[in-house]
Amino acid sequence: MSQQAYTVASDSETTGGEKSSSFPEIAIGVDIGTSQCSVAVWNGSEVELLKNIRNQKIMQSYVSFKDEVPTGGVSSEPTHEHEILSGSAIFNMKRLIGRVDTDPVVHATKSLPFLVQTLDIGVRPFIAALVSNAWRSTTPEEVLAIFLVELRAMAEFQLRRPVQNVVLTIPVSFSRFQLSRIERACAMAGLHVLRLMPEPTAVALLYAQQQQHTVHENMGSGSEKMSLIFNMGAGYCDVAVCATAGGVSQIKALSGAAIGGEDLLQNLMRHLLPEYDSIFSGHRLDVSKSMAALRVATQNAIHMLSSQTSFDIDVDLGNGIRLTKILDRKEFEDVNTIVFDQCEDLVRQCLNDAKVEVDDLSDIILVGGCSLIPRVRDLIKSICKREKLYEGMNPLEAAVRGAALEGAVASGISDPFGNLDLLTIQATPLSIGIQASGNNFIPIITKNTTVPARKDLVFTTVHDNQTESLIVVYEGDETNIQKNHLLGYFKLSGIPPLPKGVPEINVCMDIDASNVLRVLVGIVIPGNQQPVTPIMEVRMPTIDDGHGWCAEALNRTYGSTMDLITVQKKA
Amino acid sequence: MMQTLSFACNPPTPLNHHQFRCRAAVQSLSPPTRNPASLYEVLRIKRSASSIEIKTAYRSLAKLYHPDATSLSSSSSSSSSSDGRNFMEIHNAYETLSDPAARALYDLSLGFGIGIGIGIGIEVGDQFCYSVGRRPTRRWETDQCW
Repeated sequence: MSQQAYTVASDSETTGGEKSSSFPEIAIGVDIGTSQCSVAVWNGSEVELLKNIRNQKIMQSYVSFKDEVPTGGVSSEPTHEHEILSGSAIFNMKRLIGRVDTDPVVHATKSLPFLVQTLDIGVRPFIAALVSNAWRSTTPEEVLAIFLVELRAMAEFQLRRPVQNVVLTIPVSFSRFQLSRIERACAMAGLHVLRLMPEPTAVALLYAQQQQHTVHENMGSGSEKMSLIFNMGAGYCDVAVCATAGGVSQIKALSGAAIGGEDLLQNLMRHLLPEYDSIFSGHRLDVSKSMAALRVATQNAIHMLSSQTSFDIDVDLGNGIRLTKILDRKEFEDVNTIVFDQCEDLVRQCLNDAKVEVDDLSDIILVGGCSLIPRVRDLIKSICKREKLYEGMNPLEAAVRGAALEGAVASGISDPFGNLDLLTIQATPLSIGIQASGNNFIPIITKNTTVPARKDLVFTTVHDNQTESLIVVYEGDETNIQKNHLLGYFKLSGIPPLPKGVPEINVCMDIDASNVLRVLVGIVIPGNQQPVTPIMEVRMPTIDDGHGWCAEALNRTYGSTMDLITVQKKA
Repeated sequence: MMQTLSFACNPPTPLNHHQFRCRAAVQSLSPPTRNPASLYEVLRIKRSASSIEIKTAYRSLAKLYHPDATSLSSSSSSSSSSDGRNFMEIHNAYETLSDPAARALYDLSLGFGIGIGIGIGIEVGDQFCYSVGRRPTRRWETDQCW
């Protein structure tokens, strides 16, 4: 496996020299969820979840800043449930990392007890924890890194060896810029990212292993099984359709969005307390306890409504506000119709993209915390026209177990019983392309392309004697280019002065096995065989902060003077 | 005057390299410099292979040549496949042959051979080139956007 160079050398404790040990280190699988996290590793015969000193396999994802040294949910235990909600702890970092302050997901985070400040100009949001009546600033990367340091220490203690290589699960909807932020946090924690796996694809790998077992048992046909994997946690909802046989799972399509239990919770809190926003805006100290009480009570109600049809809420919010209400399941579902509709859209879109009919699905797999919600289960059953869902997995452990399997496979570990004779063939969750023909997004590698991949497209100039052009790279599937994620930009100069439409500008995108994206651009004059200038080769993303305003600034400064247009294909 | 530019990733990467270099090369497709093996040869199957045989062949080759899986077969195959080029070729062959319409068109192109009959040759040839991961050959004169 080619080891990937860090993008941030300064933050990294690790160097290539340390990799010289003859025994391959088995990478651990890490699932950092919006609200919970877990770590697993291949122990030589099976995947084992690691426990912290309090014997927990599943820990809360938060970092508290109340002490001199920040501590996370791995090592410490809050003395009281409300402590995490006092403003001194940062949580939901997965919803913040790599997002700019114009992002609606960041805005939805502003009602949390810690400080999320937005200026709405396309820079990273300012976040801070409340420590002794002062806001102490931090960044999502720093919070994640502190958390990862604890996870690493825990794993090293349990495994009695240094831990460096990790396979991390990520939401499908994460852009490459967000992935680079995750990698940076890992580098800060001294960890080397072997793979970043979209959560449902980790589940697909676990499923592939389980299917191989059943095939071995009954010497089955080995025929291909199509499955739908739906994963919904606190922060994100992901869907995958994959074809599995013989330990190989080919990802056919992926879809995902930043919707999850946190949205269900916030919608319900606003429903229970219509004055929610006016009471809790401004982070006044006197209401932080009320907010915590409401959040805990609402969370509890949602959990209870998974097993019972109505729940008695009776909570004293302080400041003379007391909330008593009998909440039934129907009401909870009605309040969150939009969220459930979005889930449905994601599933239908994924099936559509995979070109798979529901009748062809062998198994429907639901994982993640929200997969226990009856409405979610009914929804998926009705879309897939099934009565039964796949039952072979623990919905809270599936993703981390899959990540641990990938960790073992990618570390080159083999198993005499064939338990690691596995492979996931990944696909791109988002299209990648450039801005051309005015303000249009022209995809070069389309969504759901099998990786590794290399695709190219030819562009040409729009002005006579145009000698320069801007290559602005975006990732996403929105027709409005501004809604896609900016990955980077560079200028191509040295185009020979010729009438418009004559120079051929070949833009090639390459994603290698480590999921590294390179953009290669060359200029050719028809009739010549050699490119006229050295080829530009740029590893993306190049932007080192979520500069949402960059594209705007480029547009303002250069307008269409350096525009390109696609070469029309003639039939 | 057919002209194309494509980028090739080479050379095969030694395992201990931290970052393999993507080197761009310019190739002219006229005349074809590298006549690729037929898609059936890529998947190591017979022309008459059934769709199940195609899928099985694809999966077993993926296990040998996918960059993630090369560790599984490190004893049997060399590390030269770790840059993913072989796998991309295998996947492209699979994409064409697993789609009945694309396969029929491809079979037709094999039957006629390349360069017989300009009328059919170009259209089928385009499909052919595309399916092995090359940009269709084009005449630049007709590609101007007037």
